[in-house]
Amino acid sequence: MSLRATDHPDDSELVLRARKGEELALSMLIERYQKSAYALALSVTGRHEDAEDAAQESFLVALDQLDECRDPERFAGWFMTIVRNRSRNLIRRESLRQTSDVPQGTRSRIPTPDKIAETSELRETLQQAIAELPEIQQEVVLLHDLEGWKHREIAERLGIPSGTVRSHLHFARKALKQALAEIPDGSDLIRKVQ
Amino acid sequence: MTHDLDSNDDFGPDLELAEALAHFDPEHQDPSYWYRFRQWILENAAGELARRRLIHELTVGDVMTSWARTVVPVALLAAILAGLLLMRDQSVVPVRPVGIEELLVSGVEGQTIPSALAPSETSDPVAFASEVF
Repeated sequence: MSLRATDHPDDSELVLRARKGEELALSMLIERYQKSAYALALSVTGRHEDAEDAAQESFLVALDQLDECRDPERFAGWFMTIVRNRSRNLIRRESLRQTSDVPQGTRSRIPTPDKIAETSELRETLQQAIAELPEIQQEVVLLHDLEGWKHREIAERLGIPSGTVRSHLHFARKALKQALAEIPDGSDLIRKVQ
Repeated sequence: MTHDLDSNDDFGPDLELAEALAHFDPEHQDPSYWYRFRQWILENAAGELARRRLIHELTVGDVMTSWARTVVPVALLAAILAGLLLMRDQSVVPVRPVGIEELLVSGVEGQTIPSALAPSETSDPVAFASEVF
């Protein structure tokens, strides 16, 4: 039976269908994990461009190696391992890294000068604070607070105990909020840039 | 406290931090970003998807049919060539089957024993032997 865009199949069914070359199944998998792949890649690379490259390449690699995913029900954890490895390989290849204030390749609305400055300051502060976290805490806080994953999902997909996830999240949040608090009018800044 | 434990013992979202981290989502500045992100992947995955569809749709019958597509024309061609070669050999005089007796006397120019002897000599056995051998 063909898959429809309105269906909500589980990961296992999507993987089995994608193995047979069904484009809609692959599209659904991408839509389901694109943001978390990007968030994980961003936590490793620290740059939008690199995170985008790593995340997109990871989906292509996953498709090539889809037959090697022994347990389709655990596709997420298997796929996140690919994302992490691709991200690490990418930063190893680069000799120079530049930070960018605005993601390239996006058609952004032109913000006001004040908004640009406030957004840049917030992003730079958060980016610096995230970069100072241990890699596992970066992954946990971005997957939980940016992508909305639950503790149990993070634990299962990253292959770590749920209690460890909570601990990492607690310390990561503490560090990031401390960084935000050091920005003059940090809380107001968040409200202003929305 | 900006978060509480939910029924699954999860911290739940930290609204303040979530709002700050949302700036890292490219969609924050470009609503079509994730659509284009997905389309790029699907375009580059088209070849691999097509390969997988082909493998999945291939059956034993398809394999036999693919062989037949090659073997049958070749066999037909060979049959035509053989027929042409055979037809070309029709100009050669066909071999007439002969018996043993005819084969033994073939090339012998002399008359046969009964016709070589004169009627008067056939009654004399000695003459018969000397004349022929």
